[in-house]
Amino acid sequence: MRQIAIYGKGGIGKSTTTQNLTAGLAELGKKIMVVGCDPKADSTRLLLNGLAQRTVLDTLREEGEVDDLSQIERVGFGGIRCVESGGPEPGVGCAGRGIITSIGMLEDLGAYTDDLDYVFYDVLGDVVCGGFAMPIREGKAKEIYIVASGEMMALYAANNICKGIQKYALKGGVRLGGIICNSRKVDRENELLREFAKELGSQLIYFVPRDNEVQRAEIKKKTVIDHDPNHPQAQEYRNLALAIENNTQFVIPKPMTQERLEEILIEFGLMDSIKDNYHI
Amino acid sequence: MSTISIKEPSVVIREKRLGTINAFTGSASQIVEKSAKGELHDCKRKFSQCLGCNQQQAFCQLAMIRDAVVINHAPIGCSGEFADFNFTYRIEQTKRNLPAALGRYYSTNILEKDTVFGAAKKLEETIRLAYEREHPNAIFVTTSCASGIIGEDIEAVVEAASKELGIPVATCNCEGFRSKIWTTGFDAAYHTVLRGIVKPAEKKTNKVNIINFWGSHVFDDIVRRFGYEPQYIIPFSTVEELSHVSEAAASIHICPSLSTYMGAGLNQLHGVPEVLVPPAYGVAGTDRWLRAFGKLVGKEEIAEEIIKEGHEKYLPEIEKLKERFKGKRAYVTAGAAHGQALITLLGELGMEVVGAAVFHHDPVYDSGDDKLDILGQAVKNYGDVPDYRVCNKQACELVNALNRIKPDLILARHGGMTLWGAKFGIPSLLIGDEQFGIGYKGALNYARRIDDALDSIEFIKNYSKHASNPYTKWWFEQDPGYFQGDGSGRGCARGNGGI
Repeated sequence: MRQIAIYGKGGIGKSTTTQNLTAGLAELGKKIMVVGCDPKADSTRLLLNGLAQRTVLDTLREEGEVDDLSQIERVGFGGIRCVESGGPEPGVGCAGRGIITSIGMLEDLGAYTDDLDYVFYDVLGDVVCGGFAMPIREGKAKEIYIVASGEMMALYAANNICKGIQKYALKGGVRLGGIICNSRKVDRENELLREFAKELGSQLIYFVPRDNEVQRAEIKKKTVIDHDPNHPQAQEYRNLALAIENNTQFVIPKPMTQERLEEILIEFGLMDSIKDNYHI
Repeated sequence: MSTISIKEPSVVIREKRLGTINAFTGSASQIVEKSAKGELHDCKRKFSQCLGCNQQQAFCQLAMIRDAVVINHAPIGCSGEFADFNFTYRIEQTKRNLPAALGRYYSTNILEKDTVFGAAKKLEETIRLAYEREHPNAIFVTTSCASGIIGEDIEAVVEAASKELGIPVATCNCEGFRSKIWTTGFDAAYHTVLRGIVKPAEKKTNKVNIINFWGSHVFDDIVRRFGYEPQYIIPFSTVEELSHVSEAAASIHICPSLSTYMGAGLNQLHGVPEVLVPPAYGVAGTDRWLRAFGKLVGKEEIAEEIIKEGHEKYLPEIEKLKERFKGKRAYVTAGAAHGQALITLLGELGMEVVGAAVFHHDPVYDSGDDKLDILGQAVKNYGDVPDYRVCNKQACELVNALNRIKPDLILARHGGMTLWGAKFGIPSLLIGDEQFGIGYKGALNYARRIDDALDSIEFIKNYSKHASNPYTKWWFEQDPGYFQGDGSGRGCARGNGGI
């Protein structure tokens, strides 16, 4: 069983990428579980054709305890088992602790069955606190992929996440499998991401081009493979799935200093000077 | 001087307010000098054998109020000391001829699930339940690390509860991690009382606030002689009594480590003057204190009368006992201000204080008045204490120091400290009641007890032959301050107090 965590800046397309790529892996006959670790609980919407699912924490809150996996797990596209951790009401309690509780509960309920080839954790934005680092602690996810684009803030976030990975890699055995580029059509994006990944000591495992078909499929609550299996974008996700299936390069990343990261951005001509163009 | 503001729900922690530290190696004169110059800085510890939580210090005040409920918004483990507080509460009620009622302490029992979803609802329910069961006149909600980490909006809950129930419901922010100085917990409790219970004075009364733990009522005769009524706060006060402490004529400190915030708060917010000289320990200390109190209330002649009578009545026996203490070397371990008071008392009794391990050090008190500097005055009047350690109950440090100093007597105020004396064959005396040593009679009380303790030397020496010591030879070869500083084993520079 390969346990994989997908991290990346908020809004970069982690959930979209995870679901489309797991759809590709499902087509290859793989048995997969996707665990959404985002309080918004939208990590499995495309696989389940909607947000019909009750989250682990909703169930826990409403029923006091979770006795059976069937209360929190739904089966979606290609037999993919989907679980959403969920979270407390906004502004109350602790969402990070919620992730820890949910993952502990999945273990207790025996969700990690031997027949699984993959478990994917789709984790909220940055590693904001210990709870969101849970999937990469204690020997759970051993492989990390970071979704990024050529945009500066996405690369900042990716570099920060690498700092977290490096910390846990030394004791927990977690490794970076590569950077997935979810293209935003930034100039020289492919080259920039390749250089960025190389600097981290890793690889750009796949460059997913931007295509509106992804959005069309999303509106229909489907992955691209489910929505239009013959669309070229579906093939892109199949290729990404294959790249991950065949990946052998797992490294402890070498996060960059802020200065070095900015140098790379300047080197790739995104801007003449960071200071002149810095805006959020 | 710190400015007391009750606008904010949380007290400013002692480290920030007073620059308090809890690790220092040096002499008493060095720490006095550094404190006066504002040069004192904490010396971190690489290893701590034990630590106190300021939540317990907050409980120790709030849990003793006669008609209030304390709700600890915490996982159940944080309420481990409820039983101890209940024990004290019951025993001390009987001493005061009060019915031995049980303490009214509740825990919201924050569980893992509550940390995820928030436990505000549980708190609301606990407040309601406690109110229905106990019909208290106030409810105090003490916070914990768990409620602090998840950012519980406790203020919103207590405000709504207060409106609903028509009694004060007040938060006491005393999360353990807020401050490494456990006495911040006293300040947190006083802040809560000042903020939520004490009302502006409608009139002035002849009451005098004696801000204390649950000591004996030694001030009764003294204060009444001046025409005032003693009012011991806040343990064993009622909520109603506490709401009027602003009307008192003065506040007395028996231990500024405890009461610095309350005294200054009542002064700054309600104009209640404080007696700003060290508490009345020792003959000279009692003379000075009585004169200061007499001056404050405008009855200096009464102070002189009491001084005269006190000298006549107690001095002869004290002088006799002092003869027996000549050349004896003593060691003190206690909380900061009380430890310093004991140093004064021992100096007064003619003993040489060769060392002290006190639990923290406040370089200044909230009043900002250096006349309250007990240690400074003790050093000036009775000489230096060459081995003065700020050692927050680190037994290993105390034991190591005792092994080197080998005093003739150990004086302690907290349980668990004197056994080390016994193991070394040193007569030791544990007195928990701070008021036991107050005044002329207090000086004689101590002199008699010290005399008894010194008489036990044969027994203690025999005892020590059969006692085992858990510390290794290696540890006794290290400097007692080994774990202070950067962990290099060199400790902090002596008297520097910082690294």
